[in-house]
Amino acid sequence: MRVQAARRAGVGLVVMAAAHDHPPLVLGIETSCDETGIALVRGQELLTDVTASSMDEHSRFGGIVPEVASRAHLEAFGPTLSAAVERAGVGLGDIDAVAVTSGPGLVGSLTVGVAAAKSLALALGVPLYGVNHILGHVAVDVLVDGPFPEEFLGLVVSGGHSSLLHVRDIATDVVELGQTLDDAAGEAFDKVGRLLGLPYPGGPHVDKLAQQGDPAAFAFPRGLSRPKDMAAHAYDFSFSGLKTAVARVVEGFTDRGEEVPAADVAASFSEAVADVLVTKTLAACERHDVGCVVIGGGFSANSRLRELAAQRFGEAGIDVRIPPIRYCTDNGAMIAALGSAVVAAGLPASEFDITIDSQMPLTRVLATA
Amino acid sequence: MTAHSGITTGSTGGVESTLTDASATQELGRRLAQVLRAGDLVILTGDLGAGKTTLTQGIGEGLGVRGRVASPTFIIAREHARTGSGPGLIHVDAYRLGSIAEVDALDLDSSMAESVTVVEWGAGLVEGLAQDRLEIELERPRGVGEGSGTDVAEAAAADQPRRVILRGVGERWAGVDLPV
Repeated sequence: MRVQAARRAGVGLVVMAAAHDHPPLVLGIETSCDETGIALVRGQELLTDVTASSMDEHSRFGGIVPEVASRAHLEAFGPTLSAAVERAGVGLGDIDAVAVTSGPGLVGSLTVGVAAAKSLALALGVPLYGVNHILGHVAVDVLVDGPFPEEFLGLVVSGGHSSLLHVRDIATDVVELGQTLDDAAGEAFDKVGRLLGLPYPGGPHVDKLAQQGDPAAFAFPRGLSRPKDMAAHAYDFSFSGLKTAVARVVEGFTDRGEEVPAADVAASFSEAVADVLVTKTLAACERHDVGCVVIGGGFSANSRLRELAAQRFGEAGIDVRIPPIRYCTDNGAMIAALGSAVVAAGLPASEFDITIDSQMPLTRVLATA
Repeated sequence: MTAHSGITTGSTGGVESTLTDASATQELGRRLAQVLRAGDLVILTGDLGAGKTTLTQGIGEGLGVRGRVASPTFIIAREHARTGSGPGLIHVDAYRLGSIAEVDALDLDSSMAESVTVVEWGAGLVEGLAQDRLEIELERPRGVGEGSGTDVAEAAAADQPRRVILRGVGERWAGVDLPV
């Protein structure tokens, strides 16, 4: 196997990039949860993106089971990598850098991806970049919608995260404006799905049911939106009180022996979540005078969020960028895109003794040892 | 057994009180942190929205552990490293776990011996993780009474009192004055 001294970890890609006429080819590896994603990106161009999911194995448990996920990553990794390289029409030896999710996520799942990435980078003699999963959800949009504006807000909403970011450079300048203080948006959907007796994962099922209901049937609370909350938590989210309110309304009907108006409950609940996400993001746009919002993460598949975002950001003259759903759920392209941005920014590669960080903070784009 | 402040201890009985709102629930957690030590197992029981995560937020704050204590549901277990000389916190949502073997399979970095382990939805499942345990039951008001629509939703959203019962099981908790 071809190994070049200049490609050792710790040596940036500047020398190599100059030697080629095109930007470096970055392999992205994502294994933070239940999807094994591997993709190849050159500059801001996506060559290939292959995802294997263990969702079917988890659905019988009503949620992700860490042990099942780790094992599924192990089994899926080789075939997914082969498929990605083959479809891109490149050889492993053409890869200039390896980027991998080093956090946040499930410990066992992250460990599989990081171990595989280290092995590949060592074998190929190329630099390794352990990058932040959440920032990847924002970075991926560049592959779909083109170069980012000078600054924008990133709203990352999924089963495990709800964060609002002020981004000037995805690799070097990201400020966290807020995050959820309790449940993530997608998690609240899963729990409401549970309350309404819908199958796991609740998000898509509640969304579908909501489309048949009246969003004004119940005025569910908008978390952290009262004036006293806005002082300390203007851009933080809370979906726990909303979840409790939904639970009590549902119980009210069942305790009285009445049929639960599930579609109306789902629609009113969806409205509350979408409304608070869009309202707070819009307020942050005004406060920071930012004219572009990028929405990412699995929950951005939610139809009411997409509708309301298009409508209200449109009215305010703010550009909204939401990648297609396959790039909103976990995938390798997001990690390859972030890796490519990190390489382009000239950040030093990660050392080979980096560890996974299941709670990697947003202030850190790259993993540390 | 101490005679003052009423209550406690052993494997039976328990102390009970009312928590007026979410901040009272967190305050109880902060006071509980004063009696919790490394190796302790706390099992939280209560419906969705009863305040299990809110109580754990108070415990985390009282212990002074690293990171924001939020719902562990999605990742099942979240570990909070200690910052000083006290224990760390392992916060588990066992709702989707089917057996104690699956708790073992969580690949936790930190050991229970160095941390306080708080398990939501753990009753009837994780008792075997430790010799002794502190059981905490949280109960919120059920339903919202008659009516429908906006009024009902507003009533359901109000931050209403929770009832809490604390019960220490085993030697570890004998003679310990539980805060209420």
